[in-house]
Amino acid sequence: MFLKIKDLKKSFGTGENRIEVLQGINLEIEKGKICVLLGPSGSGKSTLLNIIGGIDYSDSGAVIIDDEPLKDMNEKTLSLYRRNHLGYVFQSYNLIPNLTVKENIEVGAYLSSQPLDMNELLEVLGLTKHKDKLPAQLSGGQQQRTAIGRAIVKNPDILLCDEPTGALDYKTSKEILSLIESVNQKYGNTVIIVTHNEAIKLMADQVVKLRDGQIRKCYMNEVKVSAKELDW
Amino acid sequence: MQKEKIRNPLIKRIPKELKSEFGKYAVIFLFLTVTIGFISGFLVADNSMTEAYEKSFEKYNIEDGNFELTEPVSLEMKRKLAEENIKIYDNIYLEKQVLNENTTLRIFANREEVNLICLMKGRLPEVEGEIAVDRLFADKNKIHIGEEIEIDNRKFQVTGLAAFSDYSALFSDNAEMMFDAKCFGVAVVTGEQFQQMSLTGLHYSYSWQYEDKTQYSRQEEYEYSERLMKILAMDAGNPLLKFTPEYSSQAIRFSGNDMGKDKSMILVLLYIIMVILAFIFAVTIGNTIEKEAAVIGTLWASGYTRNELAAHYIGLQVIVSVTACVIGNILGYSLFKEVVAGMYYNSYSLPAYETLWNGEAFLLTTVIPCIIMLVVNLFILYNKLSLTPLKLLRNDLAKHKTKKAVRLPEFKFLARFRIRIIIQNKSGYFLLLIGIVFANILMLFGLMLEPLLDHYGREVEEKLIADYQYILKRPAATESAAAEAFAVTTLQTDFSKKNNEEITVYGIKKNSGYVVRNNIPLNYDTSGVYVSEGILEKFHYSIGDTLNLKELYTDKTYEMTIVGSYDYPAGMAVFMSNEEFCRLFGKEEGYFNGYFSNEEIADIDAGYISSIITLNDVNKVVRQLNDSMGSLFPLIKWFAFGMAMLIIYLLSKLVLEKNASSISMVKILGYGTGEIGKLYISSTTVAVAVSILISLPVSYGVLNFLYAWIMSSISGWITYYIKWTVFAEMVFFGAAAYAIVTFVQYRKIKKIPMEAALKNTEI
Repeated sequence: MFLKIKDLKKSFGTGENRIEVLQGINLEIEKGKICVLLGPSGSGKSTLLNIIGGIDYSDSGAVIIDDEPLKDMNEKTLSLYRRNHLGYVFQSYNLIPNLTVKENIEVGAYLSSQPLDMNELLEVLGLTKHKDKLPAQLSGGQQQRTAIGRAIVKNPDILLCDEPTGALDYKTSKEILSLIESVNQKYGNTVIIVTHNEAIKLMADQVVKLRDGQIRKCYMNEVKVSAKELDW
Repeated sequence: MQKEKIRNPLIKRIPKELKSEFGKYAVIFLFLTVTIGFISGFLVADNSMTEAYEKSFEKYNIEDGNFELTEPVSLEMKRKLAEENIKIYDNIYLEKQVLNENTTLRIFANREEVNLICLMKGRLPEVEGEIAVDRLFADKNKIHIGEEIEIDNRKFQVTGLAAFSDYSALFSDNAEMMFDAKCFGVAVVTGEQFQQMSLTGLHYSYSWQYEDKTQYSRQEEYEYSERLMKILAMDAGNPLLKFTPEYSSQAIRFSGNDMGKDKSMILVLLYIIMVILAFIFAVTIGNTIEKEAAVIGTLWASGYTRNELAAHYIGLQVIVSVTACVIGNILGYSLFKEVVAGMYYNSYSLPAYETLWNGEAFLLTTVIPCIIMLVVNLFILYNKLSLTPLKLLRNDLAKHKTKKAVRLPEFKFLARFRIRIIIQNKSGYFLLLIGIVFANILMLFGLMLEPLLDHYGREVEEKLIADYQYILKRPAATESAAAEAFAVTTLQTDFSKKNNEEITVYGIKKNSGYVVRNNIPLNYDTSGVYVSEGILEKFHYSIGDTLNLKELYTDKTYEMTIVGSYDYPAGMAVFMSNEEFCRLFGKEEGYFNGYFSNEEIADIDAGYISSIITLNDVNKVVRQLNDSMGSLFPLIKWFAFGMAMLIIYLLSKLVLEKNASSISMVKILGYGTGEIGKLYISSTTVAVAVSILISLPVSYGVLNFLYAWIMSSISGWITYYIKWTVFAEMVFFGAAAYAIVTFVQYRKIKKIPMEAALKNTEI
């Protein structure tokens, strides 16, 4: 198994204010699959994603990627791990406002010794004609495409998407999900999507439902629905 | 797949960042460039000119002293002096009135052996009817090369402007307290011309040089010159009129002693500005990080390392600072150096100088500011980057969160809203307070000098012992009823070999009518001395302490117990009874060598008078400081005003940017720009007003401390005094700077889009 999560626990606050966000998560994700983490607000899905991404820490338990436990890594190794293996997409695009679309994607490419071909990627992202525009000149969907481009250009092993369509309308959301799907198919990255949109689970290979810090349901979709066919 | 390694694309942001924040970086760049330029120019010019002055002793073969006799020196005397290994050179001169009846020109024949001349412009006289005059004298009297001046009804063409190595300060007489380069100058004509002119009125002045001066200590040189004076005085047929060893010659030494005295003031200015700039750097970088927290979090989460991010975010400041350092140094070594050198040339007749590389200036003005900038920026950066990427992504930059809302009294809603804004932005307003304190320290520095010197001048005048103090070469009687005899000598402090300060020691009559407190003479019954308050303040002595003084040219020391102070701002002085004075210095009872008098004494032969000290003379420190620094202080004032504006602008901008989404939200709710301004800007106004008020006593205290340091390198003492109007000016300038900034901030509020409220949604 490519990604293993063992008895992962995480809590915030102390005393009466203590909240156990993750209460012993066990999970395995295969390489090249799309995994959707579903759950309402406060269920712990973003926290789980952040721990996998090495930007948050668990209180106990382990995250093992390709037989390498994250907990043993110091800050420098963790940075290298993120650099070499992970791509991140957030709900807010966090693009650098004074760099063009192409330059924003280059920010990701710089981290890789073998980045994807820029022109081909721009084509895949549908951003070729916008490549010289600044983020402020783009729609929300185009900005999120750029953010995905920045994450994917270094061809990461795992693409972590935290509510990637949270700030987008229905049509644009579907376009973005299609893009993530095609990226997964084309480059074979493992994709983990955090969402509270139930409809998105249909495009996943694996669905994990979280509530109150616990996995309530985890299953593999026998039949996947293409992102274009999703409806909500 | 691409094979080539991509150049860091973040570099492309730097010019764009510069463009978008051009105003801010331009102002920082200008402040840094002007500061480095001026201070480096000052230090370079100061060092180069001091070096040129020091070297002039050897280069122009400056005398070891000079004396003037009534008649030409006899062969017999020359032989006696030769036996003492002393060589004599003619330094005979004439004095003529030129231009007007108040202006005297001392004319020499061309010099070939000692006290050589540094030609600054033109050429030396070659034929009859030609003259070269002192450059400073010519400048002050607007005399140019090629023009003619009339001497004894004869026209002389000015062929050159020169610096006379033995007249770097144009003292006509060593007994003068101050020189006047407009009324006295020196000049040189050809030997033949001099012969023609010297039928009458010759001054038989001679320069002497020891065989090898370097082998003598200061004390030995002093003893040597004393012996020489005795030898010269032995010839009763040819009385000695003047005797001036080089080490006590004001014309030679005054400029050298004065140069570099402003350095401590300039360094204080540098340190204040550096602290302010470091603060501005810190605020700027902190502001950038806060603005870009989410982007930094994303980059960090994507695999950029902390060091890569720190290097990127410090990049623009490094580029701006290094460029400012380079240009500042270029300006320092060119434009500003010339300005400062011009200031020296305007006061003294110094020789030409070569610009010398000044490592100290480079260290102080370039290396240290760059290190400060780097350290401050890196400290702030790494402090911010010590947060987790997640916190940055969430714009959650506070290390300690406020757990509970502060309970407020039942004020009106808007008042409570404003108080909440102040509480919410307390860290920003605290920075504003620090910034305003820094700016006002600089402002006070720029505003304090003029009233301080005025106050000192008045104090000196009010507390002057007598309108005239006659210092005599040897006791001389007078019939003047106003005269009161006293004894006086000069000692120096005994702290170290350097920076010792001369102290005038007076022996006063017990029933003195001049040295009085509330019209009652000082009580000399107890064994001990009274000291001028400047001694207590400058050297941190208290009543009951022991004051150690030593003789100027020997190692003999004196211990005196301080029994009281005397309010005599004009000088650093010690007062004791005449009896005690005679006992201490081994003089016969009743010895005196000076008179206090409120009237001019006319019946003492001029030959007996060493110097006459009047109000004009004791105000020398005021004039010197006014001359050298007077024009600089208004510049500092406006520089501080600009600095205050920059600081207030940067910090109030920071507060506005932090509140952009709240402002946007209240806009959505229907508040107008004016109403929003009243909420957010008036909160800042309260913070600025409070900061200005707090800054007044703080800057007073800080300057008091720095002032003591400045005065420690200047002779004498001027009591620290800040006129109340200075504080009023500080408030006015602070308010004016804020008013201008407010105008800009209103425009910023107008520009904040309503969508800003929707941007920072929770992740």
